[in-house]
Amino acid sequence: MSIKAFELVSAIERVKLMSDKAKTQIECLDVCGKNMYIGTSDCFVVHYSIEEKVQPNGRVTFVTEKQGHKFLVVKKPIAQLRAASALNRIMVLCDNTLTLLNMFDLEPIVTGAKIKGVVCFCINENPIRTNPFSVEICVALKKKIIQLYTVTEDRLIHLRDVSVPEQALTLGVDGVCVCAALTSGYCMIDMDSGHITDLFPIDSEQTHPVIKRISKEEFLLSGPSALGIFATTAGVSQRPPMQWSDGLSAVCFVHPYILAMNDEFITVHSILDQQQKQAIPFQGGVFLGDFDGRIFVASSREIYSLVPIPFEKQIQALLADKRVGEALDLARNANKTGMTRDKFLKMFKRIQQQAGFIEFSRQQFEEASQLFKESAMDVREVICLYPHYLPTNVNFTRSVPPLHEIADINQLSKSDESIKAAYKEFLRTFLEDIRGTNLAHGYKREVDVALLKLYAESTPEKLTELISVDTGCDLEDCVEWLEKHQRLHALGLLYQRHGESDKALGVWARLVDSKTNDPSFPGLEFVVTFLSSLADHELLWKYVDWVLEKDEELGVRVFTDRPANEAQSERLRPETVVDYLHRFPRAVITYLEYLIFQRKLEKEKYHTHLAVLYLEAVLKLMETNNVKKEELDIARSKLRHMLQISNLYRVQLILGKAKEKDMHAECAILYGKLEEHEKALRILVHKLKDYGGAENYCQVNSQGKEPGYRKRLFHILLSVYLDSSYERRDTLVAPAMALLNSSVADFDTIKVLQLLPESWSVGLLSQFLTRAIRMSMHNCRMTRLQRMMARGENLLIKQTFIEMQRDAIIMNDERVCAVCNRAFNDPSFVRYPNGIVTHVHCAKNKYICPVSGKLFSAGRR
Amino acid sequence: MSGKKKADLKVIILGDYDVGKTSLICRYIDGKFQTQEPTVGAAFFLKQWGPYNVAVWDTAGDERYSGLSHFYCRSAGAAILAFDLNSPKTFESLWARFGSILEAANEDCLKVVVGTKLDLLNQSERDITAEEGKKLARELNEHLDLKKLPHEPYFETSSLNNQNVKEVFEYIFQHCLPLSADQQKRYNTTDRKSVIDLMEDSGEHSRKKKCC
Repeated sequence: MSIKAFELVSAIERVKLMSDKAKTQIECLDVCGKNMYIGTSDCFVVHYSIEEKVQPNGRVTFVTEKQGHKFLVVKKPIAQLRAASALNRIMVLCDNTLTLLNMFDLEPIVTGAKIKGVVCFCINENPIRTNPFSVEICVALKKKIIQLYTVTEDRLIHLRDVSVPEQALTLGVDGVCVCAALTSGYCMIDMDSGHITDLFPIDSEQTHPVIKRISKEEFLLSGPSALGIFATTAGVSQRPPMQWSDGLSAVCFVHPYILAMNDEFITVHSILDQQQKQAIPFQGGVFLGDFDGRIFVASSREIYSLVPIPFEKQIQALLADKRVGEALDLARNANKTGMTRDKFLKMFKRIQQQAGFIEFSRQQFEEASQLFKESAMDVREVICLYPHYLPTNVNFTRSVPPLHEIADINQLSKSDESIKAAYKEFLRTFLEDIRGTNLAHGYKREVDVALLKLYAESTPEKLTELISVDTGCDLEDCVEWLEKHQRLHALGLLYQRHGESDKALGVWARLVDSKTNDPSFPGLEFVVTFLSSLADHELLWKYVDWVLEKDEELGVRVFTDRPANEAQSERLRPETVVDYLHRFPRAVITYLEYLIFQRKLEKEKYHTHLAVLYLEAVLKLMETNNVKKEELDIARSKLRHMLQISNLYRVQLILGKAKEKDMHAECAILYGKLEEHEKALRILVHKLKDYGGAENYCQVNSQGKEPGYRKRLFHILLSVYLDSSYERRDTLVAPAMALLNSSVADFDTIKVLQLLPESWSVGLLSQFLTRAIRMSMHNCRMTRLQRMMARGENLLIKQTFIEMQRDAIIMNDERVCAVCNRAFNDPSFVRYPNGIVTHVHCAKNKYICPVSGKLFSAGRR
Repeated sequence: MSGKKKADLKVIILGDYDVGKTSLICRYIDGKFQTQEPTVGAAFFLKQWGPYNVAVWDTAGDERYSGLSHFYCRSAGAAILAFDLNSPKTFESLWARFGSILEAANEDCLKVVVGTKLDLLNQSERDITAEEGKKLARELNEHLDLKKLPHEPYFETSSLNNQNVKEVFEYIFQHCLPLSADQQKRYNTTDRKSVIDLMEDSGEHSRKKKCC
């Protein structure tokens, strides 16, 4: 708990007092700027000049010179002495009388102002009045009265007084509050109201009462059992007491230390934690005081100064002892010592960093992390403690002077694997925390490479995210590291990230081939997806073989799943691909389907190729035994679909093969394509007996054609139904009737009637006939309606025309063209509907008026 | 440094020498039991209660510090009067000594009588009945409307077994600085994690320091 906060330095070794009598002893002193005043037991006031010199080695020495002395005739000891530099006076209490002396020649002032019967006095450092040329003092009189005075150069002006129940032994004052030690205890006196608040009792025989003003409205008092007790002017305590040693005689305060003196020691306590920090042996001390931050202590014949050790030294000493908390507390308070803010922050950061490393070495990771973050630590300082975790080509040297003595974590963990793991875990969480924040600014590569290495070792599942999202990892030693830890997928991703697609693919190919188990690798599908969006087509061809051999159907996606906006390339032309894919029958089908159905390429070659391939597939299925019916059906319906929707394949080629194998449905479609409808329909009706299909055929094949074509088709179908040469035509009566009555079918009624066999009754046909008549009537009426409407329209247009032509236009010499303003030489001219007349060649557009730009519609107005 | 922040409530604990005042506070603040050296003068603890800071002052029971206790009682919002359940003497001195010391506290000071060392008590041979304790509690709090409190300000505790300790303090805090149910819920989750409290605390401090 000890710390060296102060150093005892001799100021005046043997006071060369006026008389060299052995009895002469120091009683009290005051230091004011470069002046030191000493009061002695034999009634001398001695004036020294004192100057502080800092040696090159940092040691402080004092140069003193005696300036003069004054003997006050009463021959009593000087009890108290205070300089008031604002007034050029010193106040001296001797023989219970307070007098003023000139600060320089030590002569009494002319007016002879004095106060008699004084026990003690003190200066108000927080005066009520703000006149800079006056000083407020508080005086305790023997008569149990406490008084406030204003002191000017030559006068002592009485302000107010308050009676107290007992004589005051010592005083402290702040504003209007006086803290007084009476013979039986301390009290706080409000000088305005005269109200007295008792604090606590003491036995003044045993305890030497001390009152030291600590800060605004707060005093430190010596209590029973050598306790130092804090009390505010409100009469309460806001800090716990502190333990001093017995026989306390004086106290002084320089933030954050309280110094207390007894016969043998000067002890130093911190006001921050009330603990003792240092004990300086000092025998026979008679006086201790702080003067504008400087501390002087006097024995009976010698004067010393207590020179504060610089904060940084104290803090470094604490850090060396690994007392982190105390060091930080002290550092936080160091800015009260007048350091500039910048300097303070710099120093504080450094201390935090050092403290962070101490916590780090003790495995107090939470604290370390907090400190590293708060101090904006250069993250490389941390990473460099982990051997091999900094990128090899980073040229980093640890900060000088060193922040710590740690060699690396191997040293810290003493090769204990669990501790080492804890350190790595710390680094991982720390880097994850700071990644992307200001702290990692400029060190993205270092942070990411270290994370990559850590992940590769312990948490490979995080690698993918690290690498694929804006990574700072370079290839250099990451590759080696990932190889070493068998994180091949991550390695591939890293290559990909750096645009080294070839190497990336190489790694993935290795991964697929070797069946090495990398749980993060999604498999061949991933490679295919990558290839399908790979812009480098040369490279693509290098791996296509390999992929297709692994899995045809997956592999072909390299060609089919290309990005939509990809530029066309020679290497990926459909012909090239189709040629290449010959070896892979399933792949080629998929690719052709892609070309035809998705890309909608209209090339006979592909269509025929696909149709043939479909056909081959069907034929193959037909030849093999034990093929499931569904499978065959699917294959055939695929073929039919293809045959139906495409018009580009070579029909004859397919037809030949289809006929060979008695594939009637396909033949029907093919005949349809050849416009050999009768053949097609005969197959449908006679071979397949698919009457619905036949009707459907008529509809499908007449789509987009003129109505007569549709009628003709249905008529062919009907004639197929009624074909008298067909031996089982009885069976076709019902479908024929259904066709006639169907709402979708369309007929030329007269032709139907001619075709129908004589033997059919009218009753059988009534439905068809009614419908036919209705239709005919409807058509007749519709036509009439249309005719009349057309005639009306015609009349209207005629009317407009007449109206337009009715007005005469007079053309004479004065008439000029509205466009070019020249006379008309020709008999022909142009007149617009709004009356504008121009040359024929000036009328560029007959729908737009050249003058007003008005638009005349071609049709009606 | 604790003194820098103005506490919203001051709670003082009084009682005879060696009744276990410091142990009671340590059990509450640190959550553990350990034997304590005699307190010299007084000691001080800061506790977060919801958004508030509560200063808990521990006093020395030794009679020679009586004068100081009086001083430290000033402006206390609540007082814990502790006695040893196994020692009738300590209970009597609550009547005799500490009643008067509390005159310096706030007028509306809540006085809670707390029996300690319940773990050592043999229920069949107890000298001080719970009724007596409650009676004292009622008398000391004559100035307050006791009906507003959930029950009489009397507890029997054991710092060793952590019985009733939290209840004593929360009884006081809830009376002096009531938290709504919502607030309580919000802060209770971090209640036992004193680590977090400290961190927040120190964080606030350092920020404050930098400003000045």
